[in-house]
Amino acid sequence: MICFVKTSFLAAVLVLITLLAGCASSSTGSYVVLLRDPDGKLGNVVVKNPQGEQVLSQAFKAATLDGSKEPYFVMQDQLQRDFGAALAARPELPETFTLNFETGGAELTAESKAALPKILERARARKALDMSVIGHTDTVAKADANEALALKRANAIAEQLRQLGLQNATLTVESHGERNLLVATPDETPEPRNRRVEITLR
Amino acid sequence: MNHKRYPWRTLPGLLLLTIPLFALAQTEPIGYVKTVTGEAWVTSAGQRVRAQPGTAVLLGSRLQTGAAASMGMTFKDNTVMSFGPDTELTVDEYLYAPAQDQLKLGTRLIRGSLNYISGVIAKLKPEAVTVKTPVGIIGVRGTQFVAKVEDVK
Repeated sequence: MICFVKTSFLAAVLVLITLLAGCASSSTGSYVVLLRDPDGKLGNVVVKNPQGEQVLSQAFKAATLDGSKEPYFVMQDQLQRDFGAALAARPELPETFTLNFETGGAELTAESKAALPKILERARARKALDMSVIGHTDTVAKADANEALALKRANAIAEQLRQLGLQNATLTVESHGERNLLVATPDETPEPRNRRVEITLR
Repeated sequence: MNHKRYPWRTLPGLLLLTIPLFALAQTEPIGYVKTVTGEAWVTSAGQRVRAQPGTAVLLGSRLQTGAAASMGMTFKDNTVMSFGPDTELTVDEYLYAPAQDQLKLGTRLIRGSLNYISGVIAKLKPEAVTVKTPVGIIGVRGTQFVAKVEDVK
């Protein structure tokens, strides 16, 4: 009797394993899995196909791309099997630094001047570095003049970065003038936080 | 900001603007390869090159990885994508001019595996990011995801 119970138990386990294996293989078609951002935030993913639309808003929730089944949760081992290589190939995440300026010119504030060595250090640590330097102004003065001033700021910083040893890095310089305010203000408003250059290291 | 409307001026003006923008779109890198293991390639304007850290990615580029390979890249807007083995992806649309509100990232994952991490485009304009696949379209609302497309045999 005991032997029989054991056998049937074993049979049940075997059936369960087979079922689970079946489940796993049916879920490894074409699919998408929502994950948290590296900073911990969670957005959502929408899958559209002739079957309709499915929205994923929980981490590790998956949807088949053809809409053939309801969204389901994916286990770590399946993620690792299907996406381990792609996840391991992820480049270092881009990093952005903001430098602020005295009013009206391309002179850095003392605090921002002191921040340069740290940015250089971070830049040198990257492989295949590419950088963008984007200049901004506050809304004091005309838009045209600010377009030029923001470019002057960006160029001044780009030049400093080159002189400090980043001459071989790919570098793009842009001006957003007064069109891309960090802090929204009315026209003709002095705002130190808007007088800035953003350096992004990738 | 005074927008004076002279229709007779606008059209040639627009045409003049379009030409350099179009030319730029063809040649200016929109991103760079950052990591490669094994054999991977970037095809831009019909030219196929072995990918290595620093290889430029242009609008229209086709990114491919070999059997035991992987590759990672970053876009100008800080979107990060990486690919597992046997993967093929094309960058069909890319617009990144936040100050002009021109934002678009349209890719096509033909086969293989993709890890996607949102950049500025998805943050400023979530509906502007799509990944087309042979079976369905993935839309992104500011997040990270992984996607796999099985080869249709």
